[in-house]
Amino acid sequence: MNDDGFRAAAIKFGLFAIVAILIPIFAPGYALQRVAIAIAYAIAILGLNLLMGFAGQICLAQGTLFGVGAYVTAILNATYGISPLVTLPASAAVAAVIGLVIGLPALRLQGLQLAIVTFGIAAAFPQLLLKMGSLTGGVSGLPIEAPEAPRFLSDSPELWLYIISLTCTGVAALLVSLMLFGDNGRSLRAQRDNPQIAQALGINLTRTRLWAFAASSALAGLGGGVFGIISGFISPESFLAILSINIVIGSIVGGATSIVGAFLGGLFMVFVPTWASDINLSLGNLIYGLALILIMMIARNGVTGFIEKWLSMTFRRMASSRRQIETREELI
Amino acid sequence: MSLFFQLVVSGLTTGAIYAALALALVLIFRATNVVNFGQGEMATFSAYVAWQLTQWGAPLWLAVLASLIVAFSIGIVTFRLIIRPMMSAPVEAVVVITLGILVLFQAACMWIWGAEQLSFPSLFPDGGFDIGGVRVLSSAIGTLTILLVIALAMGFIFRFTRLGLSMRAAAFDHARSVLVGVNVERMLMLGWGFAAVIGVLAAILIAPRLFLSPTMMTPILFYGLAAATLGGWDSPLGAIVGGLAVGVAESLGASYLSFIGADMRIAVPIALTLVILLVKPVGLFGSYKVTKL
Amino acid sequence: MTLDLKKLSVFYGKTQALFDCSFSVGEGEFVALLGSNGAGKTTLLRAVSGLLPFKGSVAFSGKALDKIVAQKRLALGIAHIPQGRGTFSEFTVDENLSLGATIVSNRSQVREDKERWYETFPRLRERRNQLAGNLSGGEQQMLAVARALMSRPKLLMCDEPSLGLAPSITQEILAIFKTLNKDHGMTLLVVEQNVDITLQYADRAFVIEAGQIVASGAANELIGNEDIKKSYLGVA
Repeated sequence: MNDDGFRAAAIKFGLFAIVAILIPIFAPGYALQRVAIAIAYAIAILGLNLLMGFAGQICLAQGTLFGVGAYVTAILNATYGISPLVTLPASAAVAAVIGLVIGLPALRLQGLQLAIVTFGIAAAFPQLLLKMGSLTGGVSGLPIEAPEAPRFLSDSPELWLYIISLTCTGVAALLVSLMLFGDNGRSLRAQRDNPQIAQALGINLTRTRLWAFAASSALAGLGGGVFGIISGFISPESFLAILSINIVIGSIVGGATSIVGAFLGGLFMVFVPTWASDINLSLGNLIYGLALILIMMIARNGVTGFIEKWLSMTFRRMASSRRQIETREELI
Repeated sequence: MSLFFQLVVSGLTTGAIYAALALALVLIFRATNVVNFGQGEMATFSAYVAWQLTQWGAPLWLAVLASLIVAFSIGIVTFRLIIRPMMSAPVEAVVVITLGILVLFQAACMWIWGAEQLSFPSLFPDGGFDIGGVRVLSSAIGTLTILLVIALAMGFIFRFTRLGLSMRAAAFDHARSVLVGVNVERMLMLGWGFAAVIGVLAAILIAPRLFLSPTMMTPILFYGLAAATLGGWDSPLGAIVGGLAVGVAESLGASYLSFIGADMRIAVPIALTLVILLVKPVGLFGSYKVTKL
Repeated sequence: MTLDLKKLSVFYGKTQALFDCSFSVGEGEFVALLGSNGAGKTTLLRAVSGLLPFKGSVAFSGKALDKIVAQKRLALGIAHIPQGRGTFSEFTVDENLSLGATIVSNRSQVREDKERWYETFPRLRERRNQLAGNLSGGEQQMLAVARALMSRPKLLMCDEPSLGLAPSITQEILAIFKTLNKDHGMTLLVVEQNVDITLQYADRAFVIEAGQIVASGAANELIGNEDIKKSYLGVA
């Protein structure tokens, strides 16, 4: 990363840190929990951005992998008594393996075909959960205990959960940005933009794509595990096909190649439908649908893309003497 | 053996439902190169309009006719307001937009008519025939017949008429079509209009059996996509065959494969889709495309 | 039936690609627009075709083109064969010809013309039901020409017919253009990088470099003009 890029990233990170600290100060307990959930979704969206935004694979089963992670955490905790935070790496790992299993046939499928097959998987997942009732608790679901809070936080459990999810996401975001710099990121983008040429240049398409699937699924699994911990209870209801659709929506509205966008997407997923219902209960979804369409029409590269375009137009006018070449994929 | 035939017939009956949705999806794809995830919900909305008209005393045939006109207009308006401005947008943006259309129309139905399931009059008489010891419903035969007629008409228009050729060209490549004088926008607009008409017909054929509700089409979206993939996205006839095949496979699989059973029946169409994509990706009736670098 | 460009300028965003280009193509002329890569030849054709916004004026038979939508150009009699031929690759050869006749309402005329061009290009007749994308480069170029001719244009504009073709095929194509020009009075504007072959067939030529018209003259004069060739056309 060049100096200007580094500075931009540092500024973004600083802003982000400020916002992250301000939220718990101003948000009441219940809202804070929902922000924590939004952050859990954001981890899944981050994975999807890696897969869709950078590797160019349309996956409509991210919700399934999210659910896999949640259930791994729940099963390890409820059935085997393993401490919730310790289960998280396992959630990520199991989801990654399943992601690879999906990724293998996906190698032969192109965009639309992959979307359809993964959509089917997302539709089948709740049924599978019900069928494996003895393991998953079927319709009644499974409880997950909260990790023990340190003494100074014992009266604000929401704050504790918020910190947990923030930390996990922060780690995830850091890992993703490290992964995207240098060769891996370049390979990903190359095989998205022009797979034949990428292959001719020696990039191993199979390895790159499978790696993208595994990484994306691991993130989804991690997000699911965090979701489970924060919610305290999960059931097949939380992981219907519509979740995968909402994650895709969150990803694209936020900006499919942006890490900050993933957070915006998560917040969009959690808050916009509720805000819409608050305005008018029956009109709720209608407003959500309209908002979605309008946002896409105004900001077709997602909100972050729109903000970046606006910022770059403003800065270009302000500093016309300094020529800066801005890459489209700004990472942080 | 009669269990087998019963399952096949039952599979064909549900398959007809999948075929109906698949036909609308294929039409819009062929005419505009967009997979409209919200096609089912747009159709449901127009079906509600028909229902409302019957509630106000209109005879069924009039209500259906009116809903066709309404659907055509909705298709055109949706295209002009939402899709046309997004024509140069990246694929993912268009996907999200069609998902937004799904949410929008589903919510509109919910808002205007509420969430309960409503009974919708069938176009066909009740009852059926006994063929070889198996009950075949008149409505199933009638539905299939109508779908076949529509598919054949669609296929004919696309392959043998100038209008169809221009529509296919407009969907294939805007710039090249402009250079031969094709009014690309008008073709795309017509495509959306006609697809909406097919969609509402599908909804009207489906509603008597599934009951009219805002989420009527949502559970079968995947089946429609699978059927279109199986049959071939550029073949209306393929959509029908695909739909029937998916229905029959699912019905047989649910009964004969105990590890799947009734609750995992969706696994059969998933497997079927995967197989066809790996073996013959263009679909059973799809045509091979030229591979360009 | 003349094409008149006066001070044609085209901008891609902030960058200017064409600077005040002016020239005319008279009725029945075979004019070449020569230039090396990136000189602005394709941009110029696209502006005339209405695919790009432009400043200045473009008039065909005295009619200003700036207000007319791109897809109506064909109705005016201007046919444009784009760079890369614009073949409808997933359609058959026959369908490509039918598409060329989209604006022709007289069915028997369409049938007649198809026959005519199948006569002229027997290789197309052989392949009439094959997917156009499977044809060789030369055959696709012939198909593109036939397709453009289906609308009986008065002005045929062709962008780099020689692209990707062997010299012998290029000669064939240009010879066909020459015949169309001499025997059928078709006005031609052919954009090319391949200077020597083109100048053998064209009547007049303009040279464009970095978005500006830098030279013009009768083709037989330009053929001998080594200076122009060296400075602008990269010919040693």
